Amino acid sequence: MPAQPLNRICYVEDDEDIQRIVRMSLEKVGKMTVEVVGDPMVAIDRMIAFKPELVMLDWMMPGMDGPALYRKMLETDAVKALPVVFITAKASSRELDELRKLGAAGTISKPFSPRDLPEQLRAIWHALP
Amino acid sequence: MTPPSTTAEGNPAPARISLRQSADPRYVLADRVEQLYSQMPTAVIATLVISVVAAYELRQGRYAEIVIFWGVLVLMLTFARAGLYWSYRRTRDKVGEAAQWLRWLGISALAAGATWGFAGAVFFPSHADEQQVFLAFLLAVLVGGGIPIYAVSWPVYALYAGGILFPFTYVLATFGNKLFVEIALIVPAFYLLNVGIAYRLNRVFNSGYRLRHAYGKLTEDYTALNQRLEQQLIELEEARRQVEASGRKLALFAERSPIAVFEFDPEGRILNMNPAAETLFGFSSREMLGRAGTETLFPSDASGDIAERWRQLIRSREPIFGLRLNNTRRDGAEITCEWSLTPLVNTESRVISVIVQGRDITQQLEAERMKQEFTSTLSHELRTPLTSIIGSLQLINSGVLGDIDKDVLELTTIAERNGQRLLDLINDILDVEKIESGKLTLFPETLLLGELLDESLALNRGFADRFKVRLATAGEPQAVTVSADRKRLLQIMTNLLSNAAKFSPEGSTVTVNMDIVDGCVRVGVNDNGPGIPESFRNRIFGRFAQADMSYTRQKGGTGLGLAICKRLIEMMGGKIGFSDRDSGGTTFWFELPKL
Repeated sequence: MPAQPLNRICYVEDDEDIQRIVRMSLEKVGKMTVEVVGDPMVAIDRMIAFKPELVMLDWMMPGMDGPALYRKMLETDAVKALPVVFITAKASSRELDELRKLGAAGTISKPFSPRDLPEQLRAIWHALP
Repeated sequence: MTPPSTTAEGNPAPARISLRQSADPRYVLADRVEQLYSQMPTAVIATLVISVVAAYELRQGRYAEIVIFWGVLVLMLTFARAGLYWSYRRTRDKVGEAAQWLRWLGISALAAGATWGFAGAVFFPSHADEQQVFLAFLLAVLVGGGIPIYAVSWPVYALYAGGILFPFTYVLATFGNKLFVEIALIVPAFYLLNVGIAYRLNRVFNSGYRLRHAYGKLTEDYTALNQRLEQQLIELEEARRQVEASGRKLALFAERSPIAVFEFDPEGRILNMNPAAETLFGFSSREMLGRAGTETLFPSDASGDIAERWRQLIRSREPIFGLRLNNTRRDGAEITCEWSLTPLVNTESRVISVIVQGRDITQQLEAERMKQEFTSTLSHELRTPLTSIIGSLQLINSGVLGDIDKDVLELTTIAERNGQRLLDLINDILDVEKIESGKLTLFPETLLLGELLDESLALNRGFADRFKVRLATAGEPQAVTVSADRKRLLQIMTNLLSNAAKFSPEGSTVTVNMDIVDGCVRVGVNDNGPGIPESFRNRIFGRFAQADMSYTRQKGGTGLGLAICKRLIEMMGGKIGFSDRDSGGTTFWFELPKL
């Protein structure tokens, strides 16, 4: 279990409405610091700059989907140790299982409740080794 | 009997027939007895006539009264023999009782012989020379005449002739005349000679009767055989007609079938094809006959693979069903067909031909693909906007953005609740679709059931609060572990708890209890609702089931929940049901195998 409470989160998501809701949820309800990235192609650079404690990836994104981005993160030393949580609306159980085997910290299915989202993330954070 | 053997040429060898075995000895005996009795009237009448002549000739002797006595004896015997004949004629079982009738005949023959023997013994000494000659001549005639009458059974004849000759011989031997003593020595030889002749005749008769019976039996067998053959011929003809009829029916089936039907020879050449096959591939049967189907009907790059599969089919001789293959039509268009291949195998296990039936499933596959795509789109494209809608409303309603007007809050709460309802419906429909297409995979894990139930109560308290219903556990908590998909089991509990809350009166408590029943753990969710209407009980686990449409509007819900619960529980190896509570209300329960 990490020593410090969860505070800095990077969220990669192409849908602007959801970006806004997640930002509001994490900032207003969860009192966290959030960096939202709309373009997965620049996500890793932004992560390196922002230094998040946890990364949330949307599953379906144009250009590069969540799992692909995650695999790219695993190849990048600066970000490969970051815990990753997937936000997904459709992934099959088999795919989720595969990602969990790769080392993903958890998954949150869409639609999620912005009221409960900070708590869900904290629960995942606390469950980390 | 020698079993019928077959010679090298294949012609049946002539059967050796044993007369002794083909003729039933009981019948042969009965025939002989019949023959003996049929001659009786002749014998009796002849005896009577000769007796009258003899009595007339002998009347002048010293013992006229003895002649009368003898005449009466002959008369009585004649009546007795007539009576015997009459009884024999009236008897039914001439075969079974033949031996008995033969014995009676023997006695009667002995009696007839003895009557003449008596005549010889008594009248010979007492009469003059010429009458003695007459008597001797008469007795010789009687002994000789008896042969044709009794020779069918030589012992009967021996008794008859013995009856005549033995008293006569005795009288001759003791007469005191040398010539008569010499004749007395010849008489037994004459007797033996006659019995010998009778014995020979008896044998001839016997073989004659046996032959007759054997022939009769052969004729009978032949007739029976003929009848059997005739019957078989009729059956064969009937079978031929049936085969012809079913052949016509089959041809008609193939002719009118919307399914393409081919007949291939073992080398893969087309022997036959129906109109549906012509339509499907665009070739006429005339141009296709004799061509290799493995090459013509498949894309060129697949022909090697297809040929190999074909050889495998011919080797294994096992039918194949539901084989999906890509085929090419005459116009070059590629289609996907589902094939069934049935090798026709003869009695020597050799494939004669292969019946191949196929159906174009290109459109069906496209429809399936579109359905999947649609489901996937529904899943993603509906959930993403709903995430924004419900999320926004939740943020507003949670109050983190500051206080809002009471009326506005009421409306945004309604909007959030209905957004949630829409989401539930989508989720339920997707679940049903997944279950029915067999795409739903469970991830079973070992769970402490008590903990999971507590969690489900905690998750659904918010929902129950809306109906002012309390959720609580009842009974002693038990440390039971089960193997189940955690997420799906929570889904089942959420369904049962939300139903219970919806239908329970305000202020009441919905309880959850756990019992161990026969190696299973049974979880009950007990409500205080109005109970399940009788008319609804047998379709409560069906799809889109709700007791009353007005309830649906009032209470919300898709009517898919219980149907999904049932399938999920069954997939986890358990079962689900409901029962009335004694205190009113209903218990919905499910059972899972206990670990």
